[in-house]
Amino acid sequence: MPRIRPPKTDSTDPVERSALAHQPALLAAFTRLYGTLWSHGVLDLPTKEMARLRNARITDCRFCRSVRFAGARDEGLSEALVDEIRDGYEDGPLSSRQKAVLRYTDAFLKTPGDVDASLREAMLEHFSGEEIVELTAGLALFMGFSKIAVSLGQVPESMPVTVMPTPDR
Amino acid sequence: MPDLVGDAVPRQTAGDADAIPPRSGGPVTWLPVAAPGVDPLDRVFGLRPNLYEDFRRWSALFWEEGLLDPTLLELCRLRVAQLHGCESELRVRHRSALAAGLTEEKIAALPRASSDPAFSELERACLAFAELFVADPNAITDEDARRVTEPLGPEGTVALVQALALFDGFARFRLMLGVDPPSPDRVVVLDDPGAAPD
Repeated sequence: MPRIRPPKTDSTDPVERSALAHQPALLAAFTRLYGTLWSHGVLDLPTKEMARLRNARITDCRFCRSVRFAGARDEGLSEALVDEIRDGYEDGPLSSRQKAVLRYTDAFLKTPGDVDASLREAMLEHFSGEEIVELTAGLALFMGFSKIAVSLGQVPESMPVTVMPTPDR
Repeated sequence: MPDLVGDAVPRQTAGDADAIPPRSGGPVTWLPVAAPGVDPLDRVFGLRPNLYEDFRRWSALFWEEGLLDPTLLELCRLRVAQLHGCESELRVRHRSALAAGLTEEKIAALPRASSDPAFSELERACLAFAELFVADPNAITDEDARRVTEPLGPEGTVALVQALALFDGFARFRLMLGVDPPSPDRVVVLDDPGAAPD
Protein backbone atom coordinates (compact mmCIF):
# COMPACT_ATOMS: atom_id res chain seq x y z
CA MET A 1 0.00 0.00 0.00
CA PRO A 2 1.53 3.36 -1.00
CA ARG A 3 2.34 5.48 2.05
CA ILE A 4 2.06 8.73 0.13
CA ARG A 5 -0.53 9.48 -2.49
CA PRO A 6 1.02 10.95 -5.68
CA PRO A 7 -0.09 14.43 -6.75
CA LYS A 8 -2.51 14.70 -9.64
CA THR A 9 -0.83 14.91 -13.03
CA ASP A 10 -1.50 14.44 -16.73
CA SER A 11 1.87 12.79 -17.26
CA THR A 12 1.99 9.20 -18.45
CA ASP A 13 5.55 8.67 -17.21
CA PRO A 14 5.47 6.27 -14.23
CA VAL A 15 8.09 8.21 -12.29
CA GLU A 16 6.41 11.57 -12.90
CA ARG A 17 3.15 9.96 -11.77
CA SER A 18 4.79 8.76 -8.54
CA ALA A 19 5.03 10.39 -5.12
CA LEU A 20 8.40 11.81 -6.17
CA ALA A 21 6.45 14.48 -8.06
CA HIS A 22 5.71 16.14 -4.70
CA GLN A 23 9.20 17.65 -5.03
CA PRO A 24 9.34 18.78 -8.67
CA ALA A 25 12.74 20.51 -8.48
CA LEU A 26 14.34 17.47 -6.88
CA LEU A 27 12.70 15.18 -9.39
CA ALA A 28 13.87 17.30 -12.30
CA ALA A 29 17.44 17.30 -11.01
CA PHE A 30 17.35 13.58 -10.35
CA THR A 31 15.86 12.86 -13.78
CA ARG A 32 18.61 14.86 -15.44
CA LEU A 33 21.29 13.03 -13.43
CA TYR A 34 19.73 9.68 -14.25
CA GLY A 35 19.46 10.58 -17.92
CA THR A 36 23.11 11.60 -18.03
CA LEU A 37 24.07 8.31 -16.42
CA TRP A 38 22.17 6.23 -18.93
CA SER A 39 22.43 8.14 -22.18
CA HIS A 40 25.54 10.31 -21.90
CA GLY A 41 27.97 7.90 -20.28
CA VAL A 42 31.05 5.88 -21.12
CA LEU A 43 29.89 2.48 -19.88
CA ASP A 44 27.79 0.19 -22.10
CA LEU A 45 24.08 -0.09 -21.35
CA PRO A 46 23.88 -3.87 -20.74
CA THR A 47 26.52 -3.60 -18.01
CA LYS A 48 24.59 -0.86 -16.21
CA GLU A 49 21.34 -2.77 -16.66
CA MET A 50 22.83 -5.92 -15.17
CA ALA A 51 23.97 -3.96 -12.12
CA ARG A 52 20.56 -2.28 -11.84
CA LEU A 53 18.71 -5.59 -11.99
CA ARG A 54 21.05 -7.29 -9.53
CA ASN A 55 20.39 -4.39 -7.15
CA ALA A 56 16.64 -4.74 -7.74
CA ARG A 57 16.77 -8.41 -6.75
CA ILE A 58 18.81 -7.86 -3.60
CA THR A 59 16.96 -4.73 -2.50
CA ASP A 60 13.74 -6.51 -3.45
CA CYS A 61 12.15 -3.63 -5.30
CA ARG A 62 9.33 -5.13 -7.33
CA PHE A 63 8.99 -2.09 -9.59
CA CYS A 64 12.71 -2.05 -10.44
CA ARG A 65 12.73 -5.82 -11.02
CA SER A 66 9.92 -5.56 -13.54
CA VAL A 67 11.42 -2.76 -15.64
CA ARG A 68 13.77 -3.28 -18.59
CA PHE A 69 15.41 -0.36 -20.35
CA ALA A 70 15.09 -0.63 -24.11
CA GLY A 71 18.64 0.37 -24.93
CA ALA A 72 20.17 -2.46 -22.93
CA ARG A 73 17.82 -4.95 -24.53
CA ASP A 74 18.67 -3.59 -27.99
CA GLU A 75 22.36 -4.05 -27.19
CA GLY A 76 21.90 -7.72 -26.34
CA LEU A 77 20.71 -8.07 -22.74
CA SER A 78 18.16 -10.82 -23.32
CA GLU A 79 15.77 -12.25 -20.74
CA ALA A 80 17.89 -15.41 -20.77
CA LEU A 81 20.84 -13.31 -19.59
CA VAL A 82 18.66 -11.50 -17.06
CA ASP A 83 17.71 -14.90 -15.63
CA GLU A 84 21.40 -15.51 -14.92
CA ILE A 85 21.53 -12.48 -12.58
CA ARG A 86 20.54 -14.71 -9.70
CA ASP A 87 22.23 -16.05 -6.63
CA GLY A 88 24.76 -18.63 -7.74
CA TYR A 89 25.72 -16.62 -10.84
CA GLU A 90 29.38 -17.37 -10.09
CA ASP A 91 28.85 -20.93 -11.31
CA GLY A 92 26.70 -19.93 -14.30
CA PRO A 93 27.48 -19.17 -17.95
CA LEU A 94 28.06 -15.41 -17.58
CA SER A 95 31.40 -14.00 -18.76
CA SER A 96 34.13 -13.08 -16.29
CA ARG A 97 33.37 -9.40 -17.07
CA GLN A 98 29.70 -9.85 -16.25
CA LYS A 99 30.50 -11.79 -13.09
CA ALA A 100 32.85 -9.02 -11.98
CA VAL A 101 30.02 -6.51 -12.33
CA LEU A 102 27.70 -8.64 -10.22
CA ARG A 103 30.37 -9.21 -7.57
CA TYR A 104 31.00 -5.46 -7.48
CA THR A 105 27.27 -4.83 -7.15
CA ASP A 106 27.01 -7.32 -4.29
CA ALA A 107 29.93 -5.66 -2.52
CA PHE A 108 28.33 -2.24 -2.94
CA LEU A 109 25.11 -3.48 -1.38
CA LYS A 110 26.53 -5.69 1.35
CA THR A 111 30.11 -4.72 2.26
CA PRO A 112 30.92 -1.37 0.66
CA GLY A 113 33.77 -0.71 3.07
CA ASP A 114 35.57 -3.92 2.32
CA VAL A 115 36.28 -4.34 -1.39
CA ASP A 116 38.86 -7.09 -1.56
CA ALA A 117 41.94 -7.02 -3.77
CA SER A 118 40.73 -9.76 -6.09
CA LEU A 119 37.56 -7.82 -6.90
CA ARG A 120 39.53 -4.66 -7.54
CA GLU A 121 41.85 -6.55 -9.87
CA ALA A 122 38.91 -8.11 -11.70
CA MET A 123 37.31 -4.70 -12.18
CA LEU A 124 40.52 -3.10 -13.42
CA GLU A 125 41.05 -5.98 -15.82
CA HIS A 126 37.74 -5.29 -17.55
CA PHE A 127 36.96 -1.59 -16.98
CA SER A 128 38.64 1.80 -17.11
CA GLY A 129 38.69 4.12 -14.11
CA GLU A 130 36.05 6.30 -15.75
CA GLU A 131 33.79 3.30 -16.30
CA ILE A 132 34.21 2.14 -12.69
CA VAL A 133 33.27 5.58 -11.38
CA GLU A 134 30.20 5.63 -13.60
CA LEU A 135 29.17 2.14 -12.53
CA THR A 136 29.60 3.02 -8.86
CA ALA A 137 27.57 6.21 -9.20
CA GLY A 138 24.96 4.19 -11.06
CA LEU A 139 24.78 1.71 -8.23
CA ALA A 140 24.23 4.55 -5.77
CA LEU A 141 21.32 5.78 -7.86
CA PHE A 142 19.87 2.34 -8.57
CA MET A 143 19.94 1.41 -4.91
CA GLY A 144 18.61 4.78 -3.84
CA PHE A 145 15.71 4.66 -6.25
CA SER A 146 14.86 1.10 -5.19
CA LYS A 147 14.94 2.00 -1.51
CA ILE A 148 12.75 5.04 -2.11
CA ALA A 149 10.20 2.88 -3.90
CA VAL A 150 10.28 0.27 -1.14
CA SER A 151 10.14 2.74 1.74
CA LEU A 152 7.21 4.67 0.26
CA GLY A 153 5.20 1.47 -0.16
CA GLN A 154 5.65 -1.36 -2.61
CA VAL A 155 3.78 -1.85 -5.85
CA PRO A 156 1.48 -4.90 -6.15
CA GLU A 157 2.94 -8.33 -5.46
CA SER A 158 3.58 -9.13 -9.10
CA MET A 159 4.16 -6.88 -12.10
CA PRO A 160 4.72 -7.91 -15.70
CA VAL A 161 8.08 -7.23 -17.29
CA THR A 162 7.79 -3.78 -18.82
CA VAL A 163 10.18 -2.34 -21.40
CA MET A 164 10.69 1.39 -20.93
CA PRO A 165 12.67 3.94 -22.94
CA THR A 166 16.25 4.34 -21.78
CA PRO A 167 16.32 7.38 -19.48
CA ASP A 168 17.60 10.54 -21.08
CA ARG A 169 17.72 14.10 -19.88
CA MET B 1 28.88 29.12 17.62
CA PRO B 2 32.28 27.34 17.55
CA ASP B 3 34.12 27.30 14.26
CA LEU B 4 35.11 23.71 13.79
CA VAL B 5 37.63 24.23 11.06
CA GLY B 6 40.99 23.25 12.47
CA ASP B 7 39.53 22.10 15.77
CA ALA B 8 40.20 18.61 16.93
CA VAL B 9 36.82 16.95 16.90
CA PRO B 10 36.52 13.36 18.10
CA ARG B 11 35.77 10.91 15.36
CA GLN B 12 32.28 9.58 15.39
CA THR B 13 31.87 5.92 16.09
CA ALA B 14 29.02 3.76 15.01
CA GLY B 15 26.55 2.66 17.62
CA ASP B 16 25.06 -0.63 18.66
CA ALA B 17 22.53 -0.53 15.86
CA ASP B 18 25.24 -0.69 13.21
CA ALA B 19 24.04 -2.70 10.26
CA ILE B 20 27.07 -2.58 8.01
CA PRO B 21 30.66 -3.42 8.95
CA PRO B 22 32.95 -0.39 9.11
CA ARG B 23 35.51 0.16 6.41
CA SER B 24 38.71 -1.80 6.89
CA GLY B 25 42.17 -0.46 6.25
CA GLY B 26 43.74 -0.46 2.82
CA PRO B 27 45.00 1.75 0.08
CA VAL B 28 43.61 5.27 -0.17
CA THR B 29 42.44 4.73 -3.72
CA TRP B 30 42.68 1.92 -6.19
CA LEU B 31 41.76 3.57 -9.46
CA PRO B 32 44.68 4.02 -11.87
CA VAL B 33 43.66 7.55 -12.86
CA ALA B 34 42.43 10.72 -11.17
CA ALA B 35 40.76 13.93 -12.30
CA PRO B 36 42.26 17.36 -11.57
CA GLY B 37 41.42 18.99 -8.27
CA VAL B 38 42.27 19.17 -4.60
CA ASP B 39 39.16 17.75 -2.99
CA PRO B 40 39.32 13.93 -3.02
CA LEU B 41 35.77 13.62 -4.31
CA ASP B 42 36.60 15.96 -7.20
CA ARG B 43 39.56 13.77 -8.10
CA VAL B 44 37.47 10.60 -8.20
CA PHE B 45 33.96 11.61 -9.28
CA GLY B 46 35.48 14.24 -11.55
CA LEU B 47 36.56 11.40 -13.84
CA ARG B 48 32.97 11.53 -15.10
CA PRO B 49 32.57 15.31 -15.36
CA ASN B 50 29.04 15.60 -16.80
CA LEU B 51 27.73 13.07 -14.29
CA TYR B 52 29.51 14.80 -11.41
CA GLU B 53 28.12 18.17 -12.44
CA ASP B 54 24.57 16.84 -12.43
CA PHE B 55 25.18 15.07 -9.13
CA ARG B 56 26.36 18.31 -7.53
CA ARG B 57 23.31 20.15 -8.80
CA TRP B 58 20.96 17.50 -7.37
CA SER B 59 22.72 17.16 -4.01
CA ALA B 60 22.96 20.94 -3.50
CA LEU B 61 19.19 21.33 -3.71
CA PHE B 62 18.64 19.66 -0.35
CA TRP B 63 20.61 22.38 1.41
CA GLU B 64 19.99 25.37 -0.80
CA GLU B 65 16.24 25.05 -1.14
CA GLY B 66 15.51 24.46 2.55
CA LEU B 67 13.49 21.35 1.74
CA LEU B 68 14.01 20.08 5.30
CA ASP B 69 15.25 21.56 8.53
CA PRO B 70 19.06 21.66 8.12
CA THR B 71 19.65 20.16 11.55
CA LEU B 72 17.40 17.21 10.76
CA LEU B 73 19.09 16.79 7.39
CA GLU B 74 22.57 16.90 8.92
CA LEU B 75 21.65 14.47 11.68
CA CYS B 76 20.37 11.99 9.10
CA ARG B 77 23.47 12.43 6.92
CA LEU B 78 25.80 11.85 9.84
CA ARG B 79 23.85 8.89 11.18
CA VAL B 80 24.01 7.21 7.78
CA ALA B 81 27.74 7.94 7.67
CA GLN B 82 28.15 6.45 11.14
CA LEU B 83 26.37 3.28 10.10
CA HIS B 84 28.75 2.92 7.17
CA GLY B 85 31.84 4.00 9.09
CA CYS B 86 32.40 6.54 6.30
CA GLU B 87 35.13 8.90 7.52
CA SER B 88 34.88 10.90 4.34
CA GLU B 89 31.35 11.98 5.31
CA LEU B 90 31.95 12.07 9.06
CA ARG B 91 34.63 14.76 8.68
CA VAL B 92 32.17 17.20 7.12
CA ARG B 93 29.64 19.58 8.69
CA HIS B 94 27.21 21.83 6.88
CA ARG B 95 27.31 25.41 8.09
CA SER B 96 23.55 25.82 7.87
CA ALA B 97 23.07 23.03 10.42
CA LEU B 98 25.65 24.49 12.78
CA ALA B 99 24.05 27.91 12.41
CA ALA B 100 20.71 26.34 13.32
CA GLY B 101 22.21 25.13 16.59
CA LEU B 102 23.50 21.62 15.93
CA THR B 103 26.27 20.81 18.39
CA GLU B 104 29.06 18.23 18.48
CA GLU B 105 27.54 16.88 21.69
CA LYS B 106 24.32 16.07 19.89
CA ILE B 107 26.19 14.53 16.96
CA ALA B 108 28.12 12.32 19.37
CA ALA B 109 24.82 11.20 20.90
CA LEU B 110 23.38 10.07 17.56
CA PRO B 111 23.75 6.33 18.22
CA ARG B 112 21.62 6.81 21.37
CA ALA B 113 19.05 9.11 19.80
CA SER B 114 16.12 6.81 20.47
CA SER B 115 16.53 7.31 24.23
CA ASP B 116 18.22 10.69 24.44
CA PRO B 117 15.97 13.64 25.39
CA ALA B 118 18.16 15.99 23.37
CA PHE B 119 16.43 14.66 20.26
CA SER B 120 12.91 15.69 19.33
CA GLU B 121 10.21 13.18 18.53
CA LEU B 122 10.51 14.04 14.83
CA GLU B 123 14.29 13.65 14.89
CA ARG B 124 13.96 10.25 16.54
CA ALA B 125 11.38 9.11 14.03
CA CYS B 126 13.46 10.24 11.07
CA LEU B 127 16.66 8.70 12.46
CA ALA B 128 14.91 5.39 13.10
CA PHE B 129 13.54 5.54 9.54
CA ALA B 130 17.04 6.35 8.25
CA GLU B 131 18.58 3.37 10.04
CA LEU B 132 16.03 1.02 8.49
CA PHE B 133 16.45 2.67 5.09
CA VAL B 134 20.15 1.84 5.20
CA ALA B 135 19.86 -1.66 6.61
CA ASP B 136 16.61 -2.97 5.08
CA PRO B 137 13.88 -0.66 3.76
CA ASN B 138 11.52 -3.64 3.55
CA ALA B 139 11.61 -3.68 7.36
CA ILE B 140 10.03 -0.22 7.59
CA THR B 141 6.56 -0.73 9.02
CA ASP B 142 3.51 1.39 8.34
CA GLU B 143 3.86 2.76 11.87
CA ASP B 144 7.53 3.66 11.30
CA ALA B 145 6.45 5.48 8.15
CA ARG B 146 3.48 7.18 9.80
CA ARG B 147 5.76 8.78 12.42
CA VAL B 148 7.56 10.47 9.54
CA THR B 149 4.81 11.14 7.01
CA GLU B 150 2.38 12.76 9.45
CA PRO B 151 4.68 15.54 10.69
CA LEU B 152 6.58 16.03 7.42
CA GLY B 153 3.70 15.72 4.97
CA PRO B 154 4.14 14.41 1.43
CA GLU B 155 6.63 17.09 0.38
CA GLY B 156 8.85 16.67 3.42
CA THR B 157 8.72 12.90 3.28
CA VAL B 158 9.75 12.82 -0.36
CA ALA B 159 12.60 15.20 0.41
CA LEU B 160 13.67 12.95 3.29
CA VAL B 161 13.71 9.70 1.30
CA GLN B 162 15.58 11.34 -1.57
CA ALA B 163 18.11 12.73 0.92
CA LEU B 164 18.53 9.30 2.48
CA ALA B 165 19.07 7.80 -0.97
CA LEU B 166 21.76 10.42 -1.57
CA PHE B 167 23.47 9.92 1.80
CA ASP B 168 23.33 6.12 1.73
CA GLY B 169 24.25 5.71 -1.92
CA PHE B 170 27.12 8.12 -2.00
CA ALA B 171 28.62 7.07 1.35
CA ARG B 172 28.86 3.66 -0.28
CA PHE B 173 30.32 5.30 -3.42
CA ARG B 174 33.06 6.90 -1.30
CA LEU B 175 33.81 3.64 0.50
CA MET B 176 33.83 1.51 -2.63
CA LEU B 177 36.26 3.82 -4.42
CA GLY B 178 38.36 4.72 -1.39
CA VAL B 179 37.61 8.45 -1.45
CA ASP B 180 39.62 10.18 1.26
CA PRO B 181 38.09 12.70 3.69
CA PRO B 182 38.41 16.33 2.54
CA SER B 183 40.97 16.84 5.29
CA PRO B 184 43.06 14.07 6.89
CA ASP B 185 42.79 15.34 10.44
CA ARG B 186 40.13 18.05 10.69
CA VAL B 187 36.42 18.50 10.48
CA VAL B 188 35.61 20.65 7.47
CA VAL B 189 32.63 23.00 7.42
CA LEU B 190 30.88 23.43 4.08
CA ASP B 191 28.65 26.33 3.11
CA ASP B 192 26.77 23.93 0.83
CA PRO B 193 27.66 20.75 -1.09
CA GLY B 194 28.68 22.75 -4.11
CA ALA B 195 31.12 24.95 -2.24
CA ALA B 196 34.81 24.28 -1.89
CA PRO B 197 35.96 23.21 1.60
CA ASP B 198 37.15 25.97 3.92
